[in-house]
Amino acid sequence: MKNTILLSIILMLSVSLLSQTEGEDKKGKKLPAVEIKTLDGKVFNTTDIQNDGKPVIISLWATWCKPCIAELMAIADVYEDWVEETGVKLYAISVDDAKTAARVAPFVNGRAWEYEVLLDQNWDFKRAMGVADIPFLCILNGKGEIVWQHTSYAPGSEEEVFEIVKKIAAEGK
Amino acid sequence: MRKLTLVTKKHTLACLFFSLFMLTAFYTQAQNIFSGSRVSGDFGFNGMYYIPDSLIGAEEVDSKVRGNAHLNVNYTLGNFSAGLRYEYYQYPLIDMEKINYQGQGFTHYYVDYKTDFIQVTAGTFYEQFGNGLIFRAYEDRQLGVDNSLLGARVRITPYKGIYIKGVWGVERKNFDFDYSSRNDYVRGADVEFGLAEIFPVIGEKNFTVTLGGSLVSKYEKSSGDYYFTIYPADEDNKTMIIPADKIPQNVASWASRLQFGYKGFRLEGEYARKINDPNIGNDYIYKDGKALFLSATYSRKGMGISTSFIRADNMDYRSQRGESENSLLQVNYIPAINRQYSYQLLGNYSYASQPNGQIGAQLQFNYQIPKKSKLGGPYGTDLTLNYSRFHNIKQDTAAEAIENGTMTGTEGYSSSFFGFGPELLYQDIGIEISRRLGKKWKMILAYNYISYNLELLQGHEGMFYGHNVALDVTCKINGKHALRLEAQHLSSKQDYGDWMYAMLEYSFNPHWIFSIGDQWNYGNADTGNRLHYYNISAAFVTGTTRIAANFGKTREGILCIGGVCRAVPASYGVGLSVTTTF
Repeated sequence: MKNTILLSIILMLSVSLLSQTEGEDKKGKKLPAVEIKTLDGKVFNTTDIQNDGKPVIISLWATWCKPCIAELMAIADVYEDWVEETGVKLYAISVDDAKTAARVAPFVNGRAWEYEVLLDQNWDFKRAMGVADIPFLCILNGKGEIVWQHTSYAPGSEEEVFEIVKKIAAEGK
Repeated sequence: MRKLTLVTKKHTLACLFFSLFMLTAFYTQAQNIFSGSRVSGDFGFNGMYYIPDSLIGAEEVDSKVRGNAHLNVNYTLGNFSAGLRYEYYQYPLIDMEKINYQGQGFTHYYVDYKTDFIQVTAGTFYEQFGNGLIFRAYEDRQLGVDNSLLGARVRITPYKGIYIKGVWGVERKNFDFDYSSRNDYVRGADVEFGLAEIFPVIGEKNFTVTLGGSLVSKYEKSSGDYYFTIYPADEDNKTMIIPADKIPQNVASWASRLQFGYKGFRLEGEYARKINDPNIGNDYIYKDGKALFLSATYSRKGMGISTSFIRADNMDYRSQRGESENSLLQVNYIPAINRQYSYQLLGNYSYASQPNGQIGAQLQFNYQIPKKSKLGGPYGTDLTLNYSRFHNIKQDTAAEAIENGTMTGTEGYSSSFFGFGPELLYQDIGIEISRRLGKKWKMILAYNYISYNLELLQGHEGMFYGHNVALDVTCKINGKHALRLEAQHLSSKQDYGDWMYAMLEYSFNPHWIFSIGDQWNYGNADTGNRLHYYNISAAFVTGTTRIAANFGKTREGILCIGGVCRAVPASYGVGLSVTTTF
């Protein structure tokens, strides 16, 4: 059973590699299609993350992750300006599990964050993205392609994020 | 001899697969992704050179250089996806060795086909039904928990708003890959109705209603008679037997749940039951297991309030009845609903969920004192208040159990559903204030009063009561340079007594973070044990790659994530860690 699965994986990869060498146009990586949930319990497919051709920031965080909160708080202070200038939209995807998931909405609203908040309770999206540690942040361009990814947070690193967002927004125009 | 060649052969085969896969993956990556397909994954290495230190109890280890490594590769092409993980924990860090997370091999591999209507997965997979009260296959690398199933999963969406899941598989047991000798498997099904999606009229009125139900059953072939001793009051001790045919091979469980939302309000409840599960963790009693999880929240911009309740009774649910170590072979997940802290000094007094008996409640209040108000300052001030309290459950020992002098083989006990037991397990009162002071400065101040039952949660004596004050100050000098100071004080008359902690972190964007810190047990009643646990570290970050080195001491204690805990042995040495996502 195990070997059969392993073999088929290798086979699939090889076949797709061969087909690849035919020379398709280069395309950016898109988000994996994973079903997570909205704060009110509805199923949400991550391919529906979009912003009408404007840049998107995705942050993977949790209510128990201090640097994640520091990063989201730092962005919250300037978020209004960012949106005004570039039209960017931030999706804050929480990886809190059943222990703390119910507290995500009060936590976010209690801090008056204007982000789109989603729940990835059993880490399906986190795994599909290959994220080892949070905070993890990635930026999508208007076509939904991942153009920048980053792990960990240091005070001030949000400024680099904004530089990239501005660049993408300018390219999109 | 024959066995040896077989092992070597298997090993070579695994290596071959692995290198092939690596090659394929990196080749694909280098080619910069062809149309519609996607390769992603992560690599992690965590190593350490151990130095013995008898003072803190860091023992001499047989292999001084140790490390954990893993590589995950996921591949997606249209509706297909596949993935592999190799874990190398042959000479793992000593905390992993302590919980027997040791070995190497392919620990995760799957193929998956997905459309809007159906998703089929074969191989190993993770899944959760509802809140996980009866089923949660999950992983937490830091804890050394991986409860994935090897088998198959189907998810069907026959109609928008109706979600059906079915799973069948054998649970992972660390690095024991001998599945042919396994006599146990788990199967289950779950259905969820999102009424606001099925009947749009509900959604239009801002209501959300979700109903769900699941059934999970564990099968384990009987492993023979179970012997135990009874201690009758007026007779001599007697050895008794639960004959093999009286030990249930199938353990069934079910759960139902409801979620209701209206604008900022949200109510949620899940009730679960498990029947006929005598196991080593409950002393082989036949009582039904029950769990109830309730939560209610209300929030609007600038304010949030949440409260939840949990009761669990005899709900430790595992693939094998003889297993009780850590989270090994755990089928379900009973959350501990207290607030989870990242403060260093409180780490050792973090509540561990008690699936076999806990009743508790939690209340949390978040409020933002508005921006530009007198009290709130120009950027607003965030306030968090929280309270939680957990007790054991009330148990009235069954008559038969009293007569026998042991619960084993009987109904065990009865328990009134909402009765708080006599023992306080954990209590936490906390307040946290977070405020930005001008353009450069940020400050978080927190106070907690913790009561922690050392006897029932750690096996030591008595209760622990501690006052903890934590201060976290960040100074953003400019976009490139920042300093952060964390200072903490924990005062207590119990356990290790008083502690002090300070850590200074300097970040030099975009790549470097340095830190130096010390935990000092200055108030230990035993003056010879007033030890320092210092640590210095440097980390380099570029994109999604992080390389960090550290030198210092770690105290013996517990590490808890999500109410799941494991022991951490004392250690001293030089560490190196590398993680990357691609």
